[in-house]
Amino acid sequence: MKKEEFEVLALDYLRGSLSGLEKEKFEESLGQEEFKNSFETLKETWQAMDTIKVPEPSQQMDNAFFSVLEKELEAKENTKVSIGNLLHELYQWLMKPQLAYGLLFLVLVGVYFFKNEDNIPSQETIVSKEEPNAQEELVLTLLDQPSANKRLQGVYEVKKMDKTTAAITNALFATLNNDSNVNVRLAAVESLAKYVENPEVRMGLITSITNQESPIVQIALADLMVTLQEKESVKSIEELLEQPNLDSTVSKKLKESINQII
Amino acid sequence: MHQLTDNALMIKVQSGDLDKMGLLYERHKKRLFGYFYNMNHNASVSEDLVQNVFIRLMKYKHTYSGDGSFLAWMFSTARNVRYDHHKKNSQHYTDLKQVEYKIDDGNNAEKQMNRKDDISLIQSAMMKLDQDKREILVLSKFKEMKFSEIGNVLGCTEGAAKVKAHRALKDLKQIVHSMQTL
Repeated sequence: MKKEEFEVLALDYLRGSLSGLEKEKFEESLGQEEFKNSFETLKETWQAMDTIKVPEPSQQMDNAFFSVLEKELEAKENTKVSIGNLLHELYQWLMKPQLAYGLLFLVLVGVYFFKNEDNIPSQETIVSKEEPNAQEELVLTLLDQPSANKRLQGVYEVKKMDKTTAAITNALFATLNNDSNVNVRLAAVESLAKYVENPEVRMGLITSITNQESPIVQIALADLMVTLQEKESVKSIEELLEQPNLDSTVSKKLKESINQII
Repeated sequence: MHQLTDNALMIKVQSGDLDKMGLLYERHKKRLFGYFYNMNHNASVSEDLVQNVFIRLMKYKHTYSGDGSFLAWMFSTARNVRYDHHKKNSQHYTDLKQVEYKIDDGNNAEKQMNRKDDISLIQSAMMKLDQDKREILVLSKFKEMKFSEIGNVLGCTEGAAKVKAHRALKDLKQIVHSMQTL
């Protein structure tokens, strides 16, 4: 065994961490006088080191450590509570209707812009194709909101558009015929009036006349038909006139409208 | 009873289960205290340093990779804590007046005196040894630590750590011998 190898193995031997084969090899090397003498003195010093006494750490050390640990745990707990409170407050803040709808609107606008950024086939398609889709999505989402204000906003969004889509037209007619809020239904009439060049829209408006129960919407539709001079609407207006609970003012107005159309 | 390994406990601490640091403290406080005490022979400072080590382990828990040995990571932190303390205070703990030792109960006074002399001698010799050499000998005495881990703590290879330890022991033997012949 070389001196270097002896040096490497000596401490492991003293620590008792040599494997069987290595231990055997090391013990064999101790047959050489030089290694034996060197090892004996090392062993003596190594064993003498075990006699160095170390006092026991005091109870104070434990107390100090556990006090620090406890503070850390408390701080962590407080952070949890603070975050919990913050989230609760944030939740309550977000649950305020105005903010919730405002945020929803911002999210939708965000989605609109995000989609625009994501799909970049060409500048032309952004304008001609992607934009109407995003607007359509915005309108449809707004029309589906529980808040009348948001639905109203959706109806007005249609007014800003140059052209409509079948999905938007269908949603507007659904609003006109079923919406619980009269202002929203009235706004739907105004928005649809923009697209009366479309025969389907005209027919939808005519059909809607008999579905209306609100005097103000009935009058608005009658006025629109007069403006359009839509003869097809006369039949629907006459059907409406036959309804027993029809408001007398409305009845008078509808009769005038029929006269003006004919 | 199944015991979680140091590594598993530290991973739990890392994931927010700070309670587990208490278990690690209980497992290693004596070993760490021994390390500091053998280096500075000041019990009160050693206690402070043990606490500082655990505070650092909590503070820098995110740096624990979980790949290596917890002992190596803990002693690397202990080394840094000792270095910082030494730098900050620049106080010499090697003053032999601070050396504390305990004497085993002997059967007679003569035996006690001889024992006391031996302990004083080896302790005095240890204090005369260079810090680096003393440190590697102290670490080598922890049987739970492999030389590869000691190498990690000291920033050298396993082989280099073994050779350094061997040479430190030879130097200690030389110091003891020279003190005996005085």
